[in-house]
Amino acid sequence: MSNNWEMVIGLEVHAQLKTSSKLFSSSPNQFGSDPNENVNFIDSGMPGMLPVMNFGCIEMAIKTGYALNFNINKHSVFERKNYFYPDLPQGYQISQFEFPILSEGYINIETGDNQKKIRIERAHLEQDAGKSIHDIDPKYSFIDLNRVGTPLLEIVSYPDLSSADEVINYISSLRQLLMYIDVCDGNMQEGSLRADVNLSVRKKGQELGTRCEIKNLNSFKFIKQAIEYEFQRQINIIDGGGEIEQNTMLFDTSTGETRAMRSKEFSHDYRYFPDPDLLPVNLSQEQIDKIKPLVGELPQDKFNKYLDNYSLDKDIAKIIIAEKQNANLFEKMISESTVKPKFIAAWLVGDIFAFIKENNLEVNSLNDKTKDITDLLRLISDDVISNKAGKEILPKVLNGEGKPSELVKELGLEQVSDSGELEKVIDEALVGEEENILKFQGGSDRVLGYFVGKCLKATKGKGNPKLINKILLERLKK
Amino acid sequence: MSDIDIKRISYLAKLKLPSEKEEFYSNSLKDIIKWVDNLKKVDTSKTEPLHNVTEKTVSIRNDEVSKSNSVDDVLSNAPERAQNFFKVPKVVE
Repeated sequence: MSNNWEMVIGLEVHAQLKTSSKLFSSSPNQFGSDPNENVNFIDSGMPGMLPVMNFGCIEMAIKTGYALNFNINKHSVFERKNYFYPDLPQGYQISQFEFPILSEGYINIETGDNQKKIRIERAHLEQDAGKSIHDIDPKYSFIDLNRVGTPLLEIVSYPDLSSADEVINYISSLRQLLMYIDVCDGNMQEGSLRADVNLSVRKKGQELGTRCEIKNLNSFKFIKQAIEYEFQRQINIIDGGGEIEQNTMLFDTSTGETRAMRSKEFSHDYRYFPDPDLLPVNLSQEQIDKIKPLVGELPQDKFNKYLDNYSLDKDIAKIIIAEKQNANLFEKMISESTVKPKFIAAWLVGDIFAFIKENNLEVNSLNDKTKDITDLLRLISDDVISNKAGKEILPKVLNGEGKPSELVKELGLEQVSDSGELEKVIDEALVGEEENILKFQGGSDRVLGYFVGKCLKATKGKGNPKLINKILLERLKK
Repeated sequence: MSDIDIKRISYLAKLKLPSEKEEFYSNSLKDIIKWVDNLKKVDTSKTEPLHNVTEKTVSIRNDEVSKSNSVDDVLSNAPERAQNFFKVPKVVE
């Protein structure tokens, strides 16, 4: 039984930095190009080529340092991590080892109603490797070096995580932060964010067990599956009287199982040493300070602002801050209109997000429609049209079928808010209703709803319900 | 001095070593290490490690793209190519 067992997990998250060019070469840092299109002589490891540091990567690392509460180190050193593989033409990966650019950070994640602090040991800059394709030819591997030299920030947590859900919360929070500060596009499918999971098990309260590392997981679903499988696998071994061997594991997405990599008999000997082609990175306090303002507002800042300044409900604020593009769209609408933010927020997380989901759109794609949206919301909040009519027009506005005021006219949805006209309707509706009027006066509130409905029907749904209510009450109380 | 695992070193270096040569290379490496070990005679207990002989910082460039060569240039030294891929003996982990 796994009841008295617990898992202890530490994560290595690799985030691809969204620079224009690579870490040490000026080749494009771009996903989806033709094979070997973005490869120059530095990337392909030609003899005599020298790496030149891209300052954009340092800048992004420093921004990450601020966002994840790191110590930003003025002195860091690039080292060579040596291993042979066809998609690593240099024969070594340039990485940071003893002196990383960031150390001792943390983020807070939510676990149920509580917050948990997850400590992060370090984050360092390194190069990504290329890609091997094994399924084109039975005897050969095909190598595409486009990804070689792509800048990665490897973020290494302490073993502070104790469930698959916590791991997913932690990676989601990291992803959210990295996207907010604009250093990573967060696209897990394209491999922009990948995680290695270090997992060990122990009986509650006992010493740490031997860990296994599951490599290269790039979706929340697989991360959860791999963790649950590996947890059970290790428990079964120990329960069966065995011992856990420290291993590097691969996760087979088709079977949902983890298995040890074949070359385990030679655990890697990377022979790190400082790269003689690259001098140490020495940053001045001025250089570091200058980058701080580029960090911008973080999700938590926005959350507090939405609650304090715009009186949003927590749940609604949480949905809006979940992704930076949501927050951007929301704030753009607020800045362009005088409609109450709370009213905008309710429509945004309601009908507008529903529309986006239904039509499989990017939130960003509505950025050029904000004026039309807020114009429509203005018509609703001013009672020119009913809430119901607003819901009817919204998809047309979002599809760019016309301006809200034109659509209202065209579809005849303008609300009747002329009290003279409504009075006439109400008077007619009350004819022959003496019995119900007496009921109301006798204390039956239900009758009011009946009358409102009757009047709305008489106006073909266009009567302003608030006004009808008000006039009706005046009439009935006489 | 610790012993030399010549099999492991040749594995890491991806070099095939005939077994009759193992002792020869093992001894050669031992001699080299013995010579390098002379450095241990220097007292470094009060010296900070030096990562580079110059005191300077890494030279940097701005984050800008430039393309200096074509795919054909990069593939021109490949032992074999298939379309625009390098083609190598199968390596699967």
